[in-house]
Amino acid sequence: MKEKLEAMKAQALAELATVGTEKEVQDLRVKYLGKKGELTGLMKGMGSLSPEERPLIGQLVNSVKDTLEEKVEAALAAMRDSDKQERLRIERLDISLPGRRKAIGTLHPLTIVIQEISEIFSSLGFQTAEGPEIELDYYNFEALNLPKDHPARDMQDTFYVSENVLLRTHTSPVQIRTMLKHAPPVRIIAPGKVYRRDSDVTHSPMFHQIEGLMVDKNINFGDLKGILTIFINQYFGSGTSVRFRPSFFPFTEPSAEVDIACVICKGKGCRVCKNTGWLEILGSGMVDPEVFRHVKYDSESVTGFAFGMGIERIAMLKYGINDLRLFYENDLRFLSQF
Amino acid sequence: MIATYNWLKEYVDFDLSPQDLADLLTMLGLEVEGMTSLGGGMDDVVVALIEERNQHPNADRLSLCRVNNGREVLEIVCGATNMKAGDRVALAQIGAVLPGDFKIKRSKIRGVESFGMLCSEKELGLAEESEGIMILPPDLQLGSPVFEALGLKDTIFEIGLTPNRADCLSVIGIAREIAAKLGKRVNYPKVAVGEGNQPITEIASVTIEDPHGCPRYAARYISGCKIGSSPEWLVSRLKAVGVRSINNVVDVTNYVMMEFGHPLHAFDYHFLQGGKIVVRKAGEGELFKTLDGQERLLKGTDLTIRDGERAVALAGVMGGQNSEISDATTDVLLESACFEPMTIRRTARRLGLHSESSHRFERGADIGTVPKALDRAAALIAELSGGVMARGSIDVYPGKKKPKQIPVRLARVNQILGTNLTAEAIRDIFHNLEFVLDPGEAGEFLVSVPSFRVDIEREIDLIEEVARLNGFENIPVTMPRARTFSDRPTRSQLLAQSLKQLLVANGLSEVITYSFIAPALYDRIGLASDDPRRAVVNLLNPLSDDQSVMRTSLLPGLLETASRNIGYRILDQRIFEMGRVFLKDGSEELPAEPTYIAGILTGARELEGWNQGKDCVDFYDMKGVVENILASLNIAKLSYESRDLDSFYHPGKACSVCSGSDIIGSLGEIHPDVQEAFGIEQRVYYFELNFDKLLHLCRDIATITPPSRFPDTFRDTAMLLDDEVPAAAVLGAIKGLKIGEIEDAAIFDLYKGASIPAGKKSLAVRVRYRSLERTLTDDEVNRLHQRVVDTLTSKYSAEIR
Repeated sequence: MKEKLEAMKAQALAELATVGTEKEVQDLRVKYLGKKGELTGLMKGMGSLSPEERPLIGQLVNSVKDTLEEKVEAALAAMRDSDKQERLRIERLDISLPGRRKAIGTLHPLTIVIQEISEIFSSLGFQTAEGPEIELDYYNFEALNLPKDHPARDMQDTFYVSENVLLRTHTSPVQIRTMLKHAPPVRIIAPGKVYRRDSDVTHSPMFHQIEGLMVDKNINFGDLKGILTIFINQYFGSGTSVRFRPSFFPFTEPSAEVDIACVICKGKGCRVCKNTGWLEILGSGMVDPEVFRHVKYDSESVTGFAFGMGIERIAMLKYGINDLRLFYENDLRFLSQF
Repeated sequence: MIATYNWLKEYVDFDLSPQDLADLLTMLGLEVEGMTSLGGGMDDVVVALIEERNQHPNADRLSLCRVNNGREVLEIVCGATNMKAGDRVALAQIGAVLPGDFKIKRSKIRGVESFGMLCSEKELGLAEESEGIMILPPDLQLGSPVFEALGLKDTIFEIGLTPNRADCLSVIGIAREIAAKLGKRVNYPKVAVGEGNQPITEIASVTIEDPHGCPRYAARYISGCKIGSSPEWLVSRLKAVGVRSINNVVDVTNYVMMEFGHPLHAFDYHFLQGGKIVVRKAGEGELFKTLDGQERLLKGTDLTIRDGERAVALAGVMGGQNSEISDATTDVLLESACFEPMTIRRTARRLGLHSESSHRFERGADIGTVPKALDRAAALIAELSGGVMARGSIDVYPGKKKPKQIPVRLARVNQILGTNLTAEAIRDIFHNLEFVLDPGEAGEFLVSVPSFRVDIEREIDLIEEVARLNGFENIPVTMPRARTFSDRPTRSQLLAQSLKQLLVANGLSEVITYSFIAPALYDRIGLASDDPRRAVVNLLNPLSDDQSVMRTSLLPGLLETASRNIGYRILDQRIFEMGRVFLKDGSEELPAEPTYIAGILTGARELEGWNQGKDCVDFYDMKGVVENILASLNIAKLSYESRDLDSFYHPGKACSVCSGSDIIGSLGEIHPDVQEAFGIEQRVYYFELNFDKLLHLCRDIATITPPSRFPDTFRDTAMLLDDEVPAAAVLGAIKGLKIGEIEDAAIFDLYKGASIPAGKKSLAVRVRYRSLERTLTDDEVNRLHQRVVDTLTSKYSAEIR
């Protein structure tokens, strides 16, 4: 019995040394260690052994079984490992080929700029307000201290729908609508489309503005400078030079144009800033008492400032765009760059 | 407004470079938009003397001159013929740069070297046209720069004036601002009026019949004038500010207008019937020929200047041809008047006749300048034309008012500006502006505003003057000490942003198209004639027919965009737009402006690439985008229905998007007719959603279901169904069983084809079972699934395969 076991073991190990595939190893395992395998066959002869021999042979059976199991496992592991190594050796991709991409769209540059500006003012406590794009003459002009036949109306060429209805020429009517609806304090920005009857390389009949308004007790011109300086430093980079320059708007007094050091030439003078070193980006001023009268605010107890800027102009400066029409042609070769 | 450095210097003594002066004006609110240097950089063009003029040895038409520039004698080849030895001429030396970036170099002309060029007025930019070279006055110093020697070196400022500053439509007005900023006084021109003996009252009369339209009218009479050309100083000064010289009388009126900002008019006295001036409204329908030769149809609201019989001028706008100054004129009646701004503005606008005169009267002329401008101009006309002034002037002034006196509180000034200005500082500013101060109540001044400042009427106007003259740069930068606010963006803003982001993530790019479109586009998208979206808001004054009506749908703009991009050979497109449409709203004065979000898919489903699919997008790609949007909004009772489809869709490949009974949008394939109408030869898929409705319907997620810790089991069932049975009905029926253990049911296969009978389809459903409490047994799942199968069999006669 003992000899048979030893012989079977030697035979099995010899066979194991010659097999080449995982399947052959598995077959070998079945042949010797399987339910109907040779080891099981040999163990059937255990019944004829003496009680003294039985435990010894039993031990030997287990040891042979363990040895064979171990060797089979080791052979399998080695084979799998070498398969893996082989796979790693032969699997080679051209990693320079492009990946499999899903289409991703882009936001319109004007949307991006509006979102960025809105975020800055939002962090300064300004809420977003809206108003209609088709507007009453009253809100667009009269209540903003631009009576009919006022020469300042020439500054804004207007599309009319009827005698009293027009396409808003600026986002300023949102100021009026907001103040009529809410008692002070008010702190809003109003982004949106506006329309003027003008079309060439530097004028689009439809464009975008952001209006801002802050009204409360004791708001002064210094505060206007403060808020707008913060905005400019956040948007155009800290340390951007800012200049407030007297101007005229019927709905603010005093009124200021706000210039920043030219972003192209850094103030040295170039074609974009017409050699002045400055770029005009904002109109602003203290809310005119006449506007407060129209919305029934007491201009003795509250004061405020308002400002407005053209989004296209800021987007053009930011992205180096020199033709306003690109924003509305919607050429996907242009839009896909944002 | 145009002014020059030298001219300004006549009225105020300043020591600033042209650039510093420009900066000072800009920071006063008189924005210098352009500067032109006259004779700047032309120092190499010098006065030279022709010592000899000889024939060029090799060319008949050329001369060879020996020219002395004060230091040396140079040989110059010249093509002109109007010079002779002894003339002083303008010599552009080697290195000079003439207007038009014309560099003077040493050159050989027909074999002879020329060391410079003799210049004509045209070449120096001094005249539009000139004949021959410029012969200079004999007293000029040799070698000195020509522009300096002629006193022509100057800087022209183009100033962009805001409409409130009528007073600065004059050189004196701008000088006044400079003086105020520098704390100096203005040197007003001194006028010596030399009058004759005959009193003007014997010669002319003025009657104002409309004192509202004309609060003041003054006149002088100058006889024996000789009309001729103006002297050089006057011509060049007018030219510098962009006014063409006409004759010595008209030039004077223009010169004084530029100087004082007050428009004047000169009549040929002989054409004024009875020597009369009457200021009166025109007759309705009256015809009048203005100076420019145009016949004008007048209205009863137009103010006219008339003689005894007829209109002779359109007041404040333009004179009449019937009384204009001509070479034959000898006697001149000079008008200096003031007209009401609105009257002038309405007439100028209606007739489309905008003159230097109407521009000033519209903005408000200075009633106080009327006699000053009159005397100044009359004296100059008499001097330049050799005429004699009649004794005295006529000055009818029915609109005389006391000067405005406005109180200004010191505390208010500092409150508005955020400054700490003292009473003295404020007083100095007003003083420098020529405003007269009286002490008012404690802590305030009473400010008398001079008549030239028509823009100042209120305390706030005076506060602005303080801010301006003190300098905006001297106002401290502060932060508002204001009540704090919630700073969360509004719901609408957040939703708009997240929807746009979601569309971008779904591969769509945002476009922005014009809100106004061509009315013909409504035909091209095939809207029925009674469709409410045909009731468009029309513009009264569109730029073109293509932009004449407000859009009622985003579809036309998107189709045009898609078509344009296909024209650029971009065939695969995924685009969207979010914007308002404009719908007439019953009797409301303003239309409704709902915001829509809409988009187009067309072309390949996947990006082009070696490993990408080549299929084109279809209805389900479009629906998937919409489903993604709506899934993010958690909208109740959402369904896709075949009812109420727009005619611009393919009738079999489109649906309405509904929440309950409310239609909130639609999607589908664009009808081939519409596609063709936009010149598109590929299938186009479109969706639109009413953003305002989405905003109203979207809900925050209330609670979540915790994920089960037990394994799932699924059962797949394939069945034959009538083709008409919608897949959604099958899933709805399963859902309708309300079996808690059904986690999810989904269609995983659809087949129609050879092995399936006509009118039928094979649909495969996968139902996933799972319990939150325990692992389900096979038996339990089988029993539950049997109920599902029974329901489908009985409800839709499904044949299980």
